Amino acid sequence: MTDPRHIRNFSIIAHIDHGKSTLADRVLQLTHTIADRDMVEQVLDSMDIERERGITIKSQAVRVMYDADDGQTYQFNLIDTPGHVDFTYEVSRSLAACEGAVLVVDSTQGVEAQTVANALMAMNANLEIIPLINKIDLPAADVERVRHEIEEGLAIPADDALTASGKTGAGIKELLEAILVRIPAPTGKPEAPLAALIFDSYFDPYRGVVALIRVIDGHIAANARIRFMATDVVTQVEEVGVRRPANTPVEELGVGEVGYLITGLKDPADVRVGDTVTLANGGIAQALPGYREVKPMVYTGLFPLDGDQYPDLRDALDKLQLNDPALIYEPETSHALGFGFRVGFLGLLHMEVVKERLEREFSLDLLATAPSVEYHVFLTNGKTLSIHSPQEMPDAAGIEHIEEPYLSATVIIPPDYVGAVMELSVARRGVFSTMQYLSTTTVEMKWEIPLSELIMDYFDQLKSRTKGYASLDYEFSEYRAAELVRLDILLSGKPVDALSFIVHKDKAYGTGTVLTQKLKEIIPRQLFEVPIQAAIGSRVLARTTVKARRKDVLAKCYGGDISRKRKLLEKQKAGKKRMKNIGSVEVPQEAFMAILKVDE
Amino acid sequence: MAMTDRLGRESQKGTSPLCLPSQLAPAAYGALYLHIPFCASRCGYCDFTTEATSPGDPRLDAYVERLVRDIRSAAREGLLAQVTTVYIGGGTPSFLGSRRLVNLVYTLSLSMNLGSETEFTLEANPESLTPALVRDLYSLGVNRFSLGVQSFDDAELAALGRAHDANAARRALATIRERADNVSVDLMCGIPHQSTASWQHSLSEALRGGASHVSVYPLTIEEATPFANAIAAGHQAPPDEDVQAQMMEAAADVLGAAGLLRYEVASYAHPGFECRHNIAYWTGVPYLGLGRGAAGMRTAADGMRERLLDGEVTERLTPAEAMREDLMCGMRMSAGVLHDAVHAAEPLVPGITERFEELVALGLAASAEGRYRPTSRGWLLGNELYGRIWNC
Repeated sequence: MTDPRHIRNFSIIAHIDHGKSTLADRVLQLTHTIADRDMVEQVLDSMDIERERGITIKSQAVRVMYDADDGQTYQFNLIDTPGHVDFTYEVSRSLAACEGAVLVVDSTQGVEAQTVANALMAMNANLEIIPLINKIDLPAADVERVRHEIEEGLAIPADDALTASGKTGAGIKELLEAILVRIPAPTGKPEAPLAALIFDSYFDPYRGVVALIRVIDGHIAANARIRFMATDVVTQVEEVGVRRPANTPVEELGVGEVGYLITGLKDPADVRVGDTVTLANGGIAQALPGYREVKPMVYTGLFPLDGDQYPDLRDALDKLQLNDPALIYEPETSHALGFGFRVGFLGLLHMEVVKERLEREFSLDLLATAPSVEYHVFLTNGKTLSIHSPQEMPDAAGIEHIEEPYLSATVIIPPDYVGAVMELSVARRGVFSTMQYLSTTTVEMKWEIPLSELIMDYFDQLKSRTKGYASLDYEFSEYRAAELVRLDILLSGKPVDALSFIVHKDKAYGTGTVLTQKLKEIIPRQLFEVPIQAAIGSRVLARTTVKARRKDVLAKCYGGDISRKRKLLEKQKAGKKRMKNIGSVEVPQEAFMAILKVDE
Repeated sequence: MAMTDRLGRESQKGTSPLCLPSQLAPAAYGALYLHIPFCASRCGYCDFTTEATSPGDPRLDAYVERLVRDIRSAAREGLLAQVTTVYIGGGTPSFLGSRRLVNLVYTLSLSMNLGSETEFTLEANPESLTPALVRDLYSLGVNRFSLGVQSFDDAELAALGRAHDANAARRALATIRERADNVSVDLMCGIPHQSTASWQHSLSEALRGGASHVSVYPLTIEEATPFANAIAAGHQAPPDEDVQAQMMEAAADVLGAAGLLRYEVASYAHPGFECRHNIAYWTGVPYLGLGRGAAGMRTAADGMRERLLDGEVTERLTPAEAMREDLMCGMRMSAGVLHDAVHAAEPLVPGITERFEELVALGLAASAEGRYRPTSRGWLLGNELYGRIWNC
């Protein structure tokens, strides 16, 4: 156990791509936590996808020992947090485990939407914030402008900002000294009953669920009987330890310390992020604040292209869920696509990452349907339904009204793009709230916007209409009533359930028209003509036709051409396998995502 | 042998290659192919094994020398004993010139039986076909010429990057017709800026010039060719499948009206002038390929069908695969395949009969008189037709 006065707990927070993980790498190197020869880039991002995409999905905690200028050695616990809005709750719990935060701002990009959101979150958690202007080695670095934006936009004195380069290592030593001096040491009651916060967890196939915890009061040691308060699960501590970054067992963790906890529990549902660990006997009565159940925001249908892979998909989802309790799923059956799952995600990035991992790590070929949200359907008989997919929408006659989730969205842009954002957001049924200049070059706009519109490619559209300058942050606001209808797509006269979607009544005609055109481009010409229709109930709003194919490649076929021809036919077969047969129509996978592209 | 037998139209008795199941195909080579991988210039659509060079390139002599040695050694091994068709293709064989070609054909005449029953084809391009070349080779046994005309429209020829103009094509055709009556003309449809009228004009010109055989192909864009690059860069429109389909149908009308029969998806001939060498390819007859980039096919001792390239085995097909390949190639020809041949294949290729019935249901094939034959729709949608057979 370390004297809390020799402990500093901090997070590094940043807008995506502002250099958080590289900065963490330099801290690990400078404190000799990792020998230079063992250094890989983005040490704390252990998943391939994290490294490839340059994003952090799972939180990480690592203990480093810092030899300070005062001649003493301090225990620094660095908690690396996910950098994406999908994981806001996880970030908030990680911040609750800290006393301070290093707010990284890219010196070429300046303050962006998640910089603001992260800073606000850190302020709400009463953290000491050390702004750090990063990437100062770049020629386009504009430290003075960024200082100004930090002061104007975040109300943090510009003089507080440090400068550094994660790439060259410049300024890292100064950062470590500032962490020691400016971030307060943890305070807590060593003699009080145990209170520890779970800020993340992961699944180890040999050890079961491993929780990452921060001890607030008391201490925790092997063999103690403990209780997880939200789930009311009582168990015994098998091992506690610290991550350096490899797991290193210790006898106990005391006030202010950060480490891991292994109990042998196998079900991740028992160990929830944000929950409080206390003693089974004589524990505290009131859990630490801030816990909430994680609720998916976005739903999609995932179907194996090859129906035989259904059990494999189920097993794969089971395995992923062990490390990702936010992932929820239930079986779903589609007439068009067969057996699959309706899967709920924290957001679009989470969805993409999960789908990619399922395909990559479990060798599955998956077809995803267009994302949907949770609608609340109020029926004339007084009942209320929560539906996650268009197929679940009941008959219009029985519906009293429908409510859909709205978000409070923050968009940060240079002033030139205010008009573009206005145009896009209004088209997406957004309601303008406020606008504020953070500096002469940076404007913050706030919108109330339906989540269903936001997940339809809003962010990509926002990026492309602002030449990549816009940044976006959002949080759930409330459910609001809206005039929504289900639009069905019919191929060769038959409705294809997996292509149905829910849309605002006023947009149904336009969306139907564009979507049928998009589908006409996507669906290849077949042996027979394929009529495409968009309809609400029996009322057809738009129609078009994919003409029958007249001719395909007719190449010479002498001697050696025959092998070539056969290989081409095999390739063609493999290509067809990537398509879904719906009735007699071969439909490419991208057709199911075409709804996302109606704005292009 | 009567021509009808070669085509298999009267072949219900089972004597023609068309109804021979593959495993009964003769093991000896029935066809010989010599590849000449040189051209005066490279056309914009071409992805064949060939290179552009000058007629004086000493490598041409060396190449012919090498082929002469290969022919002699094949003869010594007895590989040419049962060869009944010879085809010199390219590239542009006529680009070699009379002296080098005489050298080759003379060697062949010493190495195998080049009787009047042997079909001996030389591919030629108009710009390098001379009266002397036709005279010399005809006297040595070359009895069929296949002329790479592609079009009788100068603008279209220029667009394709061909080295000849329409007049040269007419002259070459006349030169051949002075001696040989078996002459084939290659024509291409779907050329950039080609109209239906100019396509019909090209077909008529070929007939007027005395072609006894016409091969028609839609322009195909192959990867990494200048055409593919131009299309990718947006400088050229990709071929329109509907236009090409119309043109293929127009060809059937024009050539059919002149009495040429469509005996294969892209091949039309007056009766008796069908290309026996190509029919060998489509009916599972083993063929020997000599020269750089020449493909060969044979049946190995273990019953596997082997394909060879430059003397190396590049693939081995099981008897079942060979059978599917033969059925697929059989459906290129108007004769199609016998019901009996399909039924006979059933034990090795389960479901093949059902698959043929499915082709009939889809309108890609017709079933009559004990045969499955491709329909004209099936021919146009060849990949669908062949793919469903090969992937059975």
